[in-house]
Amino acid sequence: MRIYFERSGGFLGKPVTCTVDTESLPADEAAALQEMVAAASFFELRETAPQGRDQFQYKVVVEAAQVKYTVETTDTAAPDSLQPLLRKLTLMTRSTKFSS
Amino acid sequence: MSHRHSIFCILPPHILQEIARRGSLAQRDLAIRNLTISAEVRGYRQGLAVTAAKLDVTDALAGKERIVYDAQNSSVLPGLRMRGEGDPPTDDPAVDEAFDGSGATYDLYNEVYDRDSIDSRGLRLDSTVHYQRGYDNAFWNGRQMVYGDGDEDLPEADRLFNRFTIAIDIIGHELTHGVTQYEANLVYNNQPGALNESISDVFGILVKQRSLGQSARNANWIVGEGLLTSNVNGVGLRSMKAPGTAYNDPVLGSDPQPGHMDDYKSVPYDNGGVHINSGIPNRAFYLVAYELDGLAWEKAGRIWYDTLTNRLTATSNFQAAANATFAAAKQLFGQGSLEQQAVQMGWSEVGILVEDTGNDNPPPPPEEPPEEPQGCLPTVKSLLGF
Repeated sequence: MRIYFERSGGFLGKPVTCTVDTESLPADEAAALQEMVAAASFFELRETAPQGRDQFQYKVVVEAAQVKYTVETTDTAAPDSLQPLLRKLTLMTRSTKFSS
Repeated sequence: MSHRHSIFCILPPHILQEIARRGSLAQRDLAIRNLTISAEVRGYRQGLAVTAAKLDVTDALAGKERIVYDAQNSSVLPGLRMRGEGDPPTDDPAVDEAFDGSGATYDLYNEVYDRDSIDSRGLRLDSTVHYQRGYDNAFWNGRQMVYGDGDEDLPEADRLFNRFTIAIDIIGHELTHGVTQYEANLVYNNQPGALNESISDVFGILVKQRSLGQSARNANWIVGEGLLTSNVNGVGLRSMKAPGTAYNDPVLGSDPQPGHMDDYKSVPYDNGGVHINSGIPNRAFYLVAYELDGLAWEKAGRIWYDTLTNRLTATSNFQAAANATFAAAKQLFGQGSLEQQAVQMGWSEVGILVEDTGNDNPPPPPEEPPEEPQGCLPTVKSLLGF
């Protein structure tokens, strides 16, 4: 599974991105990410319009089993089930290993 | 939207006012919120005339009224009520900072600019702290302020951000998004969006300077001071004095803000760089305030406040804002006054030459209503025959 993540906006306004290929991760980390994608029912999520002021805007692209799916959302529009994945990917942008 | 909101939406204002006065805490919250929304709808329908109904609502709501809620690390808003007007401090710094910061912001608008809250009609100031986990942000959702705790979910050595209530200018910034929503209602894209952001930074920094008793020349003009942990090489989130210099860190990267039109960034993210290009009008304000010296909220702030409330429209760009501040300075301080000269100089230094449009009178209020607060407004509107 490949994931491209982009977060922009927010009070800071500075965009951050990362690209993750689960095959390059240790097995437990890869499994944790795949579990987060599944728990979010990611491939069933709908795009949502930007709302409010200073909210983060997220773009998440997941490629798995020859399916590529993109979700664009914001803090208050994103379902709770997606939040752990957003946080995990945000932290991965801080690592030079994944940031792009 | 909960079912209870719908029930309140179909109640007439006098019943809502009774609930606001006599209901339980939860009922009062909902009633006041719906009274406010109803008042907005009537305001649109009846123009700017002050009606008896609106006066009733104003009487019921006027004055400083704050509530701080705790989301308890969830996404649910507003959350659990922790502190209201007249309540003593809690043992939670985030709650008390949100309470005190919204109070200081209310006081700036009220005592300096004679404005009663964000809608100028006493709208209650609601804040929620402890939003989600590891939430490095604060925002205005169209109705209330929301604050995260930063990187509290990480080991201290990995944390970049502290809690977002720690900087009082961030609180002033978020509340000012509310003021802008009820006034110029600048669209949140490109230059109008960057102006929207800059205006929030301007009044946020004025809240900070006023709370510290700082003059323009003694202040550091750093937005979000104290928000970055000691792990980060930076002094804050933005510098109005020197945009682009607030931080430069191996993990966080470098501050992307320009301070001159030559460096304006057209970018495909952040709504066209609203948090980035805001550095340009931010610096213009700093230069005006520095030139005028003294307390920035008294002269420069007054020019910007008059511009926001009387002269900008939803699509105003930087040039229009520069022209409008020039006209505002003329009206407030006189043609050719030091204040007007300072405005001209400030914008010129960031690459915008003020054009004297000769339009001393503010434009008429926009025909379109401002962006609607979220909630049960459609129900209210349909009942009113919209």
